[in-house]
Amino acid sequence: MRFKDYIRDRFGAILITLISWFILMLFFRAFRVRMYISSAATCVLFIAGITRLLWDYFRRKSFYDSIKNSCEGLDKKYLLHEMIEKPDFAEGIIVYDALCEANKSMCENVAEHRRKSEDFREYIELWVHEIKLPVASLLLMSHNDGESGNKYSEQLKRIDDYIENVLYYARSENAEKDYIIKEVSLKRIFGNIAVKNREELLQRNVGISTEGLDRAVMTDAKWLEYILGQLLGNSMKYIAEGREPEIHISAEEKDDRTVLHFRDNGIGIPASDLPYIFEKSYTGENGRTRSRSTGMGLYIVKSLCDRLGHTVSADSVQGEYTDIMISFGKNEYITMQE
Amino acid sequence: MSKIFIVEDDPAIRSELAELLKNAGYETDTTEDFSATAENVLKSAPDLVLLDINIPHANGQQVLRDIRSKSSVPVIMVTSHTSEIDEVLSMSCGADDYVTKPYNPTILLLRISAVLKRSSAKPENNTYNGLELNTAKGILGNGEKEVSLTKNELLIFQQLLDRKGEIVTRDDLMTVLWDNEEYINDNALTVNISRLRAKLADIGCENAIETRKKQGYVLI
Repeated sequence: MRFKDYIRDRFGAILITLISWFILMLFFRAFRVRMYISSAATCVLFIAGITRLLWDYFRRKSFYDSIKNSCEGLDKKYLLHEMIEKPDFAEGIIVYDALCEANKSMCENVAEHRRKSEDFREYIELWVHEIKLPVASLLLMSHNDGESGNKYSEQLKRIDDYIENVLYYARSENAEKDYIIKEVSLKRIFGNIAVKNREELLQRNVGISTEGLDRAVMTDAKWLEYILGQLLGNSMKYIAEGREPEIHISAEEKDDRTVLHFRDNGIGIPASDLPYIFEKSYTGENGRTRSRSTGMGLYIVKSLCDRLGHTVSADSVQGEYTDIMISFGKNEYITMQE
Repeated sequence: MSKIFIVEDDPAIRSELAELLKNAGYETDTTEDFSATAENVLKSAPDLVLLDINIPHANGQQVLRDIRSKSSVPVIMVTSHTSEIDEVLSMSCGADDYVTKPYNPTILLLRISAVLKRSSAKPENNTYNGLELNTAKGILGNGEKEVSLTKNELLIFQQLLDRKGEIVTRDDLMTVLWDNEEYINDNALTVNISRLRAKLADIGCENAIETRKKQGYVLI
Protein backbone atom coordinates (compact mmCIF):
# COMPACT_ATOMS: atom_id res chain seq x y z
CA MET A 1 0.00 0.00 0.00
CA ARG A 2 1.57 3.25 -1.12
CA PHE A 3 1.28 6.40 0.98
CA LYS A 4 0.05 8.37 -2.04
CA ASP A 5 -2.84 5.94 -2.50
CA TYR A 6 -3.64 6.08 1.19
CA ILE A 7 -3.77 9.91 1.16
CA ARG A 8 -5.90 9.95 -1.96
CA ASP A 9 -8.26 7.54 -0.22
CA ARG A 10 -8.43 9.84 2.84
CA PHE A 11 -8.90 12.97 0.70
CA GLY A 12 -12.41 13.67 2.06
CA ALA A 13 -11.35 13.38 5.69
CA ILE A 14 -8.37 15.65 5.11
CA LEU A 15 -10.55 18.19 3.33
CA ILE A 16 -13.04 18.21 6.21
CA THR A 17 -10.18 18.72 8.69
CA LEU A 18 -8.86 21.65 6.61
CA ILE A 19 -12.31 23.21 6.35
CA SER A 20 -12.88 22.91 10.10
CA TRP A 21 -9.44 24.46 10.70
CA PHE A 22 -10.41 27.33 8.37
CA ILE A 23 -13.72 27.84 10.19
CA LEU A 24 -11.86 27.73 13.52
CA MET A 25 -9.49 30.42 12.23
CA LEU A 26 -12.47 32.53 11.19
CA PHE A 27 -13.89 32.19 14.71
CA PHE A 28 -10.53 33.11 16.26
CA ARG A 29 -10.38 36.15 13.97
CA ALA A 30 -13.97 37.15 14.82
CA PHE A 31 -13.29 36.93 18.59
CA ARG A 32 -9.96 38.68 18.10
CA VAL A 33 -7.99 35.88 19.71
CA ARG A 34 -4.33 36.60 19.91
CA MET A 35 -2.10 35.49 17.09
CA TYR A 36 0.12 33.10 19.14
CA ILE A 37 -2.91 31.22 20.52
CA SER A 38 -4.26 30.63 17.04
CA SER A 39 -0.76 29.58 15.88
CA ALA A 40 -0.48 27.15 18.77
CA ALA A 41 -3.92 25.74 18.02
CA THR A 42 -2.95 25.33 14.34
CA CYS A 43 0.28 23.53 15.31
CA VAL A 44 -1.48 21.14 17.70
CA LEU A 45 -4.19 20.47 15.14
CA PHE A 46 -1.74 19.75 12.32
CA ILE A 47 0.66 17.64 14.38
CA ALA A 48 -2.27 15.64 15.73
CA GLY A 49 -3.74 15.22 12.25
CA ILE A 50 -0.46 14.10 10.62
CA THR A 51 0.43 11.76 13.48
CA ARG A 52 -3.00 10.19 13.32
CA LEU A 53 -2.68 9.73 9.55
CA LEU A 54 0.81 8.19 9.78
CA TRP A 55 -0.08 5.89 12.66
CA ASP A 56 -3.22 4.69 10.91
CA TYR A 57 -1.32 4.31 7.63
CA PHE A 58 1.39 2.10 9.08
CA ARG A 59 -1.07 -0.05 11.01
CA ARG A 60 -3.07 -0.75 7.88
CA LYS A 61 -0.02 -1.02 5.69
CA SER A 62 1.40 -4.04 7.57
CA PHE A 63 -1.90 -5.93 7.26
CA TYR A 64 -2.70 -5.15 3.63
CA ASP A 65 0.91 -5.57 2.53
CA SER A 66 1.01 -9.03 4.08
CA ILE A 67 -2.23 -9.89 2.22
CA LYS A 68 -0.80 -8.63 -1.06
CA ASN A 69 2.59 -10.31 -0.69
CA SER A 70 1.11 -13.63 0.42
CA CYS A 71 -1.32 -13.54 -2.43
CA GLU A 72 1.43 -12.96 -4.96
CA GLY A 73 3.75 -15.52 -3.44
CA LEU A 74 1.22 -18.28 -2.88
CA ASP A 75 0.80 -21.13 -5.30
CA LYS A 76 -2.57 -22.09 -3.86
CA LYS A 77 -4.14 -18.68 -3.29
CA TYR A 78 -7.03 -20.09 -1.29
CA LEU A 79 -4.63 -20.69 1.59
CA LEU A 80 -4.28 -16.89 1.98
CA HIS A 81 -5.97 -16.66 5.37
CA GLU A 82 -3.53 -19.17 6.80
CA MET A 83 -0.64 -16.89 5.89
CA ILE A 84 -1.77 -13.61 7.45
CA GLU A 85 -2.08 -12.66 11.09
CA LYS A 86 -5.32 -11.44 12.56
CA PRO A 87 -5.14 -7.62 12.49
CA ASP A 88 -5.89 -5.37 15.50
CA PHE A 89 -8.21 -2.87 13.81
CA ALA A 90 -11.93 -3.28 13.25
CA GLU A 91 -12.11 -3.18 9.43
CA GLY A 92 -9.19 -5.58 9.16
CA ILE A 93 -10.91 -8.01 11.51
CA ILE A 94 -14.01 -7.91 9.31
CA VAL A 95 -11.92 -8.67 6.22
CA TYR A 96 -9.99 -11.39 8.03
CA ASP A 97 -13.14 -13.10 9.32
CA ALA A 98 -14.76 -12.87 5.89
CA LEU A 99 -11.71 -14.52 4.31
CA CYS A 100 -11.85 -17.37 6.82
CA GLU A 101 -15.57 -17.84 6.25
CA ALA A 102 -15.19 -17.81 2.47
CA ASN A 103 -12.41 -20.34 2.64
CA LYS A 104 -14.37 -22.64 4.90
CA SER A 105 -17.35 -22.59 2.60
CA MET A 106 -15.11 -23.21 -0.41
CA CYS A 107 -13.56 -26.22 1.31
CA GLU A 108 -17.03 -27.61 1.94
CA ASN A 109 -17.95 -26.99 -1.65
CA VAL A 110 -14.82 -28.71 -2.94
CA ALA A 111 -15.35 -31.64 -0.60
CA GLU A 112 -18.89 -32.05 -1.86
CA HIS A 113 -17.74 -32.10 -5.48
CA ARG A 114 -14.95 -34.50 -4.65
CA ARG A 115 -17.48 -36.77 -2.98
CA LYS A 116 -19.73 -36.55 -6.01
CA SER A 117 -16.95 -37.35 -8.47
CA GLU A 118 -15.81 -40.20 -6.23
CA ASP A 119 -19.36 -41.58 -6.16
CA PHE A 120 -19.52 -41.23 -9.92
CA ARG A 121 -16.25 -43.07 -10.39
CA GLU A 122 -17.39 -45.85 -8.09
CA TYR A 123 -20.57 -46.14 -10.06
CA ILE A 124 -18.62 -46.27 -13.33
CA GLU A 125 -16.43 -49.08 -11.95
CA LEU A 126 -19.51 -50.96 -10.84
CA TRP A 127 -21.26 -50.35 -14.12
CA VAL A 128 -18.24 -51.55 -16.08
CA HIS A 129 -18.21 -54.79 -14.11
CA GLU A 130 -21.92 -55.24 -14.70
CA ILE A 131 -21.86 -54.50 -18.41
CA LYS A 132 -19.04 -56.99 -18.84
CA LEU A 133 -21.31 -59.85 -17.83
CA PRO A 134 -23.66 -59.60 -20.82
CA VAL A 135 -20.68 -58.96 -23.08
CA ALA A 136 -19.03 -62.10 -21.72
CA SER A 137 -22.13 -64.21 -22.25
CA LEU A 138 -22.61 -62.81 -25.77
CA LEU A 139 -19.01 -63.66 -26.61
CA LEU A 140 -19.56 -67.22 -25.42
CA MET A 141 -22.82 -67.45 -27.37
CA SER A 142 -21.22 -66.22 -30.56
CA HIS A 143 -18.35 -68.66 -30.09
CA ASN A 144 -20.74 -71.56 -29.47
CA ASP A 145 -22.56 -70.57 -32.66
CA GLY A 146 -19.47 -71.44 -34.67
CA GLU A 147 -18.55 -69.79 -37.95
CA SER A 148 -21.52 -67.39 -38.12
CA GLY A 149 -20.68 -66.03 -34.67
CA ASN A 150 -17.34 -64.55 -35.71
CA LYS A 151 -18.75 -61.30 -37.00
CA TYR A 152 -20.52 -60.77 -33.68
CA SER A 153 -17.32 -61.44 -31.78
CA GLU A 154 -15.59 -58.64 -33.67
CA GLN A 155 -18.25 -56.12 -32.71
CA LEU A 156 -18.29 -57.40 -29.13
CA LYS A 157 -14.56 -56.84 -28.97
CA ARG A 158 -15.13 -53.24 -30.05
CA ILE A 159 -17.73 -52.80 -27.33
CA ASP A 160 -15.32 -54.22 -24.79
CA ASP A 161 -12.58 -51.82 -25.93
CA TYR A 162 -14.87 -48.84 -25.48
CA ILE A 163 -15.87 -50.08 -22.04
CA GLU A 164 -12.22 -50.36 -21.04
CA ASN A 165 -11.66 -46.77 -22.18
CA VAL A 166 -14.34 -45.53 -19.79
CA LEU A 167 -12.94 -47.59 -16.94
CA TYR A 168 -9.38 -46.39 -17.36
CA TYR A 169 -10.43 -42.79 -17.95
CA ALA A 170 -12.25 -42.88 -14.62
CA ARG A 171 -9.22 -44.47 -13.00
CA SER A 172 -6.73 -42.04 -14.48
CA GLU A 173 -8.70 -39.02 -13.23
CA ASN A 174 -9.00 -40.26 -9.71
CA ALA A 175 -6.61 -39.45 -6.91
CA GLU A 176 -7.09 -42.74 -5.15
CA LYS A 177 -4.30 -45.27 -5.33
CA ASP A 178 -5.91 -48.34 -6.81
CA TYR A 179 -2.91 -49.90 -8.47
CA ILE A 180 -0.14 -52.20 -7.36
CA ILE A 181 3.40 -51.63 -8.50
CA LYS A 182 5.40 -54.82 -8.69
CA GLU A 183 7.84 -56.56 -10.95
CA VAL A 184 6.13 -57.40 -14.21
CA SER A 185 7.49 -59.18 -17.24
CA LEU A 186 7.18 -57.10 -20.41
CA LYS A 187 7.00 -60.29 -22.45
CA ARG A 188 3.97 -61.54 -20.59
CA ILE A 189 2.11 -58.24 -20.76
CA PHE A 190 2.70 -57.83 -24.46
CA GLY A 191 1.81 -61.50 -24.99
CA ASN A 192 -1.60 -60.95 -23.36
CA ILE A 193 -2.27 -57.94 -25.55
CA ALA A 194 -1.13 -59.67 -28.73
CA VAL A 195 -3.30 -62.72 -28.09
CA LYS A 196 -6.27 -60.51 -27.30
CA ASN A 197 -5.89 -58.64 -30.60
CA ARG A 198 -4.82 -61.63 -32.65
CA GLU A 199 -7.78 -61.75 -35.02
CA GLU A 200 -7.49 -58.08 -35.95
CA LEU A 201 -3.72 -58.24 -36.37
CA LEU A 202 -3.95 -61.27 -38.63
CA GLN A 203 -6.79 -59.74 -40.61
CA ARG A 204 -4.69 -56.66 -41.34
CA ASN A 205 -1.65 -58.86 -41.90
CA VAL A 206 0.45 -56.96 -39.38
CA GLY A 207 3.92 -58.37 -38.82
CA ILE A 208 5.03 -58.34 -35.21
CA SER A 209 8.58 -58.55 -33.98
CA THR A 210 9.87 -58.23 -30.45
CA GLU A 211 13.31 -57.63 -29.04
CA GLY A 212 14.64 -57.66 -25.52
CA LEU A 213 11.24 -58.08 -23.89
CA ASP A 214 12.56 -60.58 -21.36
CA ARG A 215 13.13 -57.69 -18.99
CA ALA A 216 11.02 -56.99 -15.96
CA VAL A 217 9.83 -53.51 -15.04
CA MET A 218 8.13 -52.03 -11.99
CA THR A 219 4.55 -51.22 -12.89
CA ASP A 220 0.91 -52.24 -12.52
CA ALA A 221 0.33 -55.13 -14.91
CA LYS A 222 -3.30 -54.32 -15.74
CA TRP A 223 -2.63 -50.65 -16.40
CA LEU A 224 0.35 -51.37 -18.59
CA GLU A 225 -1.71 -53.93 -20.48
CA TYR A 226 -4.30 -51.26 -21.19
CA ILE A 227 -1.61 -48.75 -22.23
CA LEU A 228 -0.01 -51.19 -24.68
CA GLY A 229 -3.48 -52.14 -25.94
CA GLN A 230 -4.15 -48.49 -26.76
CA LEU A 231 -0.84 -48.16 -28.62
CA LEU A 232 -1.54 -51.35 -30.55
CA GLY A 233 -5.02 -50.08 -31.41
CA ASN A 234 -3.54 -46.84 -32.74
CA SER A 235 -0.99 -48.69 -34.84
CA MET A 236 -3.76 -50.78 -36.39
CA LYS A 237 -5.85 -47.67 -37.00
CA TYR A 238 -3.15 -45.70 -38.80
CA ILE A 239 -1.69 -48.26 -41.18
CA ALA A 240 0.07 -46.79 -44.22
CA GLU A 241 -1.04 -48.02 -47.60
CA GLY A 242 1.38 -49.60 -50.02
CA ARG A 243 3.63 -51.42 -47.59
CA GLU A 244 3.41 -54.39 -45.25
CA PRO A 245 2.35 -53.11 -41.82
CA GLU A 246 4.92 -53.88 -39.16
CA ILE A 247 5.07 -53.33 -35.44
CA HIS A 248 8.35 -53.62 -33.59
CA ILE A 249 8.36 -53.70 -29.82
CA SER A 250 11.70 -53.51 -28.09
CA ALA A 251 13.08 -52.70 -24.68
CA GLU A 252 16.46 -51.22 -23.94
CA GLU A 253 18.25 -50.89 -20.67
CA LYS A 254 19.61 -47.49 -19.65
CA ASP A 255 21.52 -46.67 -16.48
CA ASP A 256 18.57 -45.55 -14.45
CA ARG A 257 15.60 -46.75 -16.47
CA THR A 258 14.23 -49.24 -18.94
CA VAL A 259 12.80 -47.79 -22.13
CA LEU A 260 10.10 -49.60 -24.06
CA HIS A 261 9.82 -48.66 -27.74
CA PHE A 262 6.57 -49.25 -29.54
CA ARG A 263 7.32 -48.57 -33.17
CA ASP A 264 5.15 -49.01 -36.24
CA ASN A 265 5.66 -48.15 -39.89
CA GLY A 266 2.27 -46.47 -40.18
CA ILE A 267 1.34 -43.08 -41.58
CA GLY A 268 3.20 -41.24 -38.82
CA ILE A 269 2.27 -37.95 -37.14
CA PRO A 270 2.78 -34.51 -38.74
CA ALA A 271 5.57 -32.59 -36.99
CA SER A 272 3.14 -29.78 -36.17
CA ASP A 273 0.85 -32.19 -34.31
CA LEU A 274 3.55 -34.12 -32.49
CA PRO A 275 3.91 -31.84 -29.43
CA TYR A 276 0.18 -32.02 -28.70
CA ILE A 277 -0.75 -35.68 -29.21
CA PHE A 278 -0.95 -36.40 -25.47
CA GLU A 279 -3.32 -33.52 -24.82
CA LYS A 280 -6.94 -34.13 -23.94
CA SER A 281 -9.34 -34.15 -26.89
CA TYR A 282 -6.56 -33.30 -29.35
CA THR A 283 -7.28 -35.08 -32.63
CA GLY A 284 -4.79 -33.51 -35.04
CA GLU A 285 -4.67 -34.01 -38.76
CA ASN A 286 -4.75 -37.82 -38.68
CA GLY A 287 -7.71 -37.88 -36.35
CA ARG A 288 -9.68 -35.53 -38.58
CA THR A 289 -8.86 -36.97 -41.96
CA ARG A 290 -8.39 -40.69 -41.37
CA SER A 291 -10.95 -41.89 -38.91
CA ARG A 292 -13.16 -40.64 -36.17
CA SER A 293 -10.90 -39.97 -33.25
CA THR A 294 -11.93 -38.84 -29.80
CA GLY A 295 -8.48 -37.62 -28.85
CA MET A 296 -8.79 -39.48 -25.56
CA GLY A 297 -6.63 -42.59 -26.11
CA LEU A 298 -3.18 -41.07 -25.79
CA TYR A 299 -4.40 -38.62 -23.16
CA ILE A 300 -5.47 -41.54 -20.95
CA VAL A 301 -2.17 -43.29 -21.71
CA LYS A 302 -0.29 -40.20 -20.57
CA SER A 303 -2.26 -39.72 -17.37
CA LEU A 304 -1.92 -43.39 -16.45
CA CYS A 305 1.84 -43.19 -17.10
CA ASP A 306 2.06 -40.03 -14.98
CA ARG A 307 0.28 -41.71 -12.12
CA LEU A 308 2.51 -44.77 -12.30
CA GLY A 309 5.60 -42.58 -12.50
CA HIS A 310 6.57 -43.55 -16.05
CA THR A 311 7.35 -40.99 -18.71
CA VAL A 312 5.91 -41.32 -22.18
CA SER A 313 7.10 -39.54 -25.29
CA ALA A 314 6.71 -39.85 -29.03
CA ASP A 315 8.92 -39.62 -32.05
CA SER A 316 7.60 -39.72 -35.59
CA VAL A 317 8.24 -38.86 -39.21
CA GLN A 318 5.12 -38.36 -41.23
CA GLY A 319 4.65 -41.09 -43.78
CA GLU A 320 7.39 -43.25 -42.26
CA TYR A 321 7.03 -44.33 -38.67
CA THR A 322 5.75 -43.59 -35.19
CA ASP A 323 7.74 -44.54 -32.12
CA ILE A 324 6.11 -44.24 -28.70
CA MET A 325 8.56 -44.58 -25.84
CA ILE A 326 7.71 -45.41 -22.26
CA SER A 327 10.45 -45.22 -19.64
CA PHE A 328 10.17 -47.16 -16.44
CA GLY A 329 12.24 -46.14 -13.46
CA LYS A 330 14.36 -48.83 -11.91
CA ASN A 331 13.87 -49.90 -8.35
CA GLU A 332 17.09 -49.08 -6.57
CA TYR A 333 16.24 -51.31 -3.66
CA ILE A 334 16.01 -54.38 -5.86
CA THR A 335 19.16 -53.64 -7.83
CA MET A 336 20.99 -53.02 -4.58
CA GLN A 337 19.96 -56.42 -3.28
CA GLU A 338 21.23 -58.05 -6.39
CA MET B 1 -12.69 -87.08 -19.45
CA SER B 2 -11.90 -84.24 -17.08
CA LYS B 3 -14.69 -82.81 -15.01
CA ILE B 4 -14.93 -79.06 -14.59
CA PHE B 5 -17.03 -77.41 -11.92
CA ILE B 6 -18.45 -74.01 -12.87
CA VAL B 7 -19.17 -71.53 -10.09
CA GLU B 8 -20.96 -68.65 -11.79
CA ASP B 9 -24.09 -66.85 -10.68
CA ASP B 10 -25.09 -65.38 -14.04
CA PRO B 11 -27.36 -68.06 -15.57
CA ALA B 12 -26.67 -67.04 -19.18
CA ILE B 13 -22.92 -67.21 -18.79
CA ARG B 14 -23.22 -70.45 -16.81
CA SER B 15 -25.12 -72.30 -19.52
CA GLU B 16 -22.98 -70.94 -22.36
CA LEU B 17 -19.84 -71.82 -20.48
CA ALA B 18 -21.15 -75.34 -19.91
CA GLU B 19 -21.88 -75.67 -23.62
CA LEU B 20 -18.44 -74.38 -24.56
CA LEU B 21 -16.75 -76.86 -22.25
CA LYS B 22 -18.96 -79.75 -23.40
CA ASN B 23 -18.09 -78.99 -27.02
CA ALA B 24 -14.44 -79.03 -26.05
CA GLY B 25 -14.87 -82.51 -24.58
CA TYR B 26 -15.12 -81.79 -20.87
CA GLU B 27 -17.69 -82.99 -18.41
CA THR B 28 -19.27 -80.14 -16.46
CA ASP B 29 -20.99 -79.72 -13.15
CA THR B 30 -22.44 -76.61 -11.61
CA THR B 31 -24.48 -75.26 -8.74
CA GLU B 32 -27.28 -72.78 -8.33
CA ASP B 33 -27.04 -72.65 -4.59
CA PHE B 34 -24.26 -70.39 -3.41
CA SER B 35 -24.84 -70.68 0.32
CA ALA B 36 -22.39 -73.55 0.61
CA THR B 37 -20.35 -73.28 -2.54
CA ALA B 38 -17.14 -74.78 -1.22
CA GLU B 39 -18.95 -77.92 0.05
CA ASN B 40 -20.77 -78.34 -3.25
CA VAL B 41 -17.53 -78.10 -5.16
CA LEU B 42 -15.77 -80.60 -2.93
CA LYS B 43 -18.72 -83.02 -3.04
CA SER B 44 -18.60 -83.05 -6.82
CA ALA B 45 -14.85 -83.84 -6.79
CA PRO B 46 -13.98 -82.11 -10.05
CA ASP B 47 -10.63 -82.03 -11.84
CA LEU B 48 -10.77 -78.26 -12.14
CA VAL B 49 -12.91 -75.39 -10.79
CA LEU B 50 -13.85 -72.22 -12.67
CA LEU B 51 -14.60 -69.81 -9.85
CA ASP B 52 -16.23 -66.41 -10.23
CA ILE B 53 -15.19 -63.80 -7.67
CA ASN B 54 -18.56 -62.05 -7.52
CA ILE B 55 -20.94 -64.65 -6.23
CA PRO B 56 -23.77 -64.28 -3.73
CA HIS B 57 -23.23 -64.98 -0.02
CA ALA B 58 -19.46 -65.36 0.10
CA ASN B 59 -16.89 -63.78 -2.10
CA GLY B 60 -14.90 -65.98 -4.45
CA GLN B 61 -11.65 -65.51 -2.61
CA GLN B 62 -13.26 -66.76 0.58
CA VAL B 63 -14.66 -69.78 -1.26
CA LEU B 64 -11.22 -70.40 -2.70
CA ARG B 65 -9.69 -70.35 0.76
CA ASP B 66 -12.33 -72.84 1.96
CA ILE B 67 -11.61 -75.15 -0.96
CA ARG B 68 -7.86 -74.85 -0.45
CA SER B 69 -8.14 -75.80 3.20
CA LYS B 70 -9.43 -79.23 2.17
CA SER B 71 -8.28 -79.86 -1.38
CA SER B 72 -5.61 -78.92 -3.88
CA VAL B 73 -7.92 -79.12 -6.91
CA PRO B 74 -6.79 -76.64 -9.60
CA VAL B 75 -8.83 -73.42 -9.55
CA ILE B 76 -9.05 -70.76 -12.26
CA MET B 77 -10.51 -67.48 -11.05
CA VAL B 78 -12.86 -65.82 -13.51
CA THR B 79 -13.85 -62.24 -12.92
CA SER B 80 -14.99 -59.01 -14.48
CA HIS B 81 -12.71 -57.05 -12.15
CA THR B 82 -9.76 -55.85 -14.14
CA SER B 83 -7.63 -54.86 -11.23
CA GLU B 84 -4.20 -56.05 -10.28
CA ILE B 85 -5.19 -56.05 -6.62
CA ASP B 86 -7.85 -58.73 -7.20
CA GLU B 87 -5.43 -60.83 -9.19
CA VAL B 88 -2.67 -60.65 -6.61
CA LEU B 89 -5.17 -61.45 -3.85
CA SER B 90 -6.58 -64.43 -5.77
CA MET B 91 -3.18 -65.84 -6.61
CA SER B 92 -2.10 -65.50 -2.98
CA CYS B 93 -5.22 -67.43 -1.92
CA GLY B 94 -4.00 -70.30 -4.07
CA ALA B 95 -5.61 -69.82 -7.48
CA ASP B 96 -3.80 -71.50 -10.36
CA ASP B 97 -4.75 -68.92 -12.95
CA TYR B 98 -6.76 -65.74 -13.29
CA VAL B 99 -8.91 -64.85 -16.31
CA THR B 100 -10.86 -61.63 -16.76
CA LYS B 101 -14.28 -61.35 -18.37
CA PRO B 102 -15.10 -61.06 -21.16
CA TYR B 103 -12.62 -63.77 -22.02
CA ASN B 104 -11.77 -65.04 -25.43
CA PRO B 105 -13.26 -68.58 -25.37
CA THR B 106 -10.29 -70.11 -27.21
CA ILE B 107 -7.88 -68.62 -24.70
CA LEU B 108 -10.01 -69.81 -21.80
CA LEU B 109 -9.92 -73.38 -23.17
CA LEU B 110 -6.17 -73.09 -23.64
CA ARG B 111 -5.69 -71.96 -20.06
CA ILE B 112 -7.89 -74.78 -18.79
CA SER B 113 -5.92 -77.41 -20.68
CA ALA B 114 -2.64 -75.85 -19.52
CA VAL B 115 -3.71 -75.93 -15.87
CA LEU B 116 -5.06 -79.48 -16.21
CA LYS B 117 -1.81 -80.59 -17.82
CA ARG B 118 0.26 -79.07 -15.04
CA SER B 119 -1.81 -80.72 -12.33
CA SER B 120 -2.29 -84.16 -13.85
CA ALA B 121 -0.02 -86.68 -12.19
CA LYS B 122 0.23 -89.02 -15.13
CA PRO B 123 3.19 -88.45 -17.40
CA GLU B 124 2.46 -86.73 -20.67
CA ASN B 125 1.93 -88.86 -23.69
CA ASN B 126 4.96 -87.98 -25.74
CA THR B 127 5.13 -90.92 -28.08
CA TYR B 128 3.72 -91.21 -31.54
CA ASN B 129 3.99 -94.34 -33.69
CA GLY B 130 7.09 -95.44 -31.84
CA LEU B 131 8.62 -92.00 -32.10
CA GLU B 132 9.47 -90.20 -28.94
CA LEU B 133 9.10 -86.45 -28.58
CA ASN B 134 11.70 -84.82 -26.39
CA THR B 135 10.21 -81.42 -25.67
CA ALA B 136 13.21 -80.15 -23.74
CA LYS B 137 15.60 -80.81 -26.62
CA GLY B 138 13.05 -80.31 -29.38
CA ILE B 139 13.88 -83.67 -30.91
CA LEU B 140 11.54 -86.26 -32.39
CA GLY B 141 12.98 -89.71 -33.07
CA ASN B 142 13.05 -93.44 -32.42
CA GLY B 143 16.68 -93.96 -31.51
CA GLU B 144 17.84 -94.65 -35.05
CA LYS B 145 16.51 -91.70 -36.94
CA GLU B 146 15.70 -88.35 -35.44
CA VAL B 147 14.79 -84.84 -36.54
CA SER B 148 15.06 -81.60 -34.61
CA LEU B 149 12.01 -79.37 -34.59
CA THR B 150 11.94 -75.61 -34.34
CA LYS B 151 9.97 -74.03 -31.51
CA ASN B 152 6.98 -73.43 -33.75
CA GLU B 153 6.98 -76.93 -35.18
CA LEU B 154 7.30 -78.34 -31.70
CA LEU B 155 4.32 -76.34 -30.44
CA ILE B 156 2.21 -77.42 -33.42
CA PHE B 157 3.18 -81.08 -33.13
CA GLN B 158 2.60 -81.09 -29.37
CA GLN B 159 -0.87 -79.65 -29.83
CA LEU B 160 -1.75 -82.18 -32.55
CA LEU B 161 -0.36 -85.01 -30.44
CA ASP B 162 -2.32 -83.96 -27.34
CA ARG B 163 -5.51 -84.15 -29.36
CA LYS B 164 -4.52 -87.08 -31.56
CA GLY B 165 -7.32 -88.17 -33.86
CA GLU B 166 -9.30 -84.97 -33.31
CA ILE B 167 -9.58 -82.05 -35.65
CA VAL B 168 -7.39 -79.17 -34.52
CA THR B 169 -8.41 -75.92 -36.17
CA ARG B 170 -5.93 -73.41 -37.54
CA ASP B 171 -7.37 -70.97 -35.02
CA ASP B 172 -6.48 -73.33 -32.16
CA LEU B 173 -2.93 -73.67 -33.47
CA MET B 174 -2.61 -69.93 -33.86
CA THR B 175 -3.81 -69.39 -30.30
CA VAL B 176 -1.22 -71.81 -28.98
CA LEU B 177 1.58 -70.20 -30.99
CA TRP B 178 0.62 -66.66 -30.07
CA ASP B 179 0.22 -67.64 -26.45
CA ASN B 180 3.85 -68.75 -26.59
CA GLU B 181 4.97 -65.38 -27.96
CA GLU B 182 5.34 -66.60 -31.54
CA TYR B 183 3.47 -63.91 -33.45
CA ILE B 184 3.29 -65.59 -36.85
CA ASN B 185 0.76 -64.98 -39.61
CA ASP B 186 -1.39 -67.32 -41.67
CA ASN B 187 1.20 -67.94 -44.37
CA ALA B 188 3.88 -68.73 -41.82
CA LEU B 189 1.56 -71.28 -40.21
CA THR B 190 1.05 -73.02 -43.56
CA VAL B 191 4.82 -73.04 -44.11
CA ASN B 192 5.43 -74.46 -40.64
CA ILE B 193 2.88 -77.23 -41.18
CA SER B 194 4.43 -78.26 -44.49
CA ARG B 195 7.92 -78.25 -42.97
CA LEU B 196 6.64 -80.38 -40.11
CA ARG B 197 5.11 -82.79 -42.63
CA ALA B 198 8.39 -83.01 -44.52
CA LYS B 199 10.31 -83.72 -41.32
CA LEU B 200 7.82 -86.42 -40.32
CA ALA B 201 8.15 -87.96 -43.79
CA ASP B 202 11.93 -87.97 -43.33
CA ILE B 203 11.65 -90.34 -40.39
CA GLY B 204 9.11 -92.58 -42.03
CA CYS B 205 5.78 -91.05 -41.04
CA GLU B 206 4.34 -89.91 -44.32
CA ASN B 207 0.86 -88.42 -44.39
CA ALA B 208 0.75 -88.32 -40.61
CA ILE B 209 -0.98 -84.94 -40.64
CA GLU B 210 -4.16 -84.84 -42.62
CA THR B 211 -5.81 -81.65 -43.81
CA ARG B 212 -9.55 -81.36 -43.34
CA LYS B 213 -10.83 -78.73 -45.71
CA LYS B 214 -12.17 -75.66 -43.92
CA GLN B 215 -11.82 -77.37 -40.56
CA GLY B 216 -8.20 -77.93 -39.66
CA TYR B 217 -5.67 -80.67 -39.23
CA VAL B 218 -5.75 -84.18 -37.77
CA LEU B 219 -2.83 -86.26 -36.59
CA ILE B 220 -3.62 -89.87 -37.42
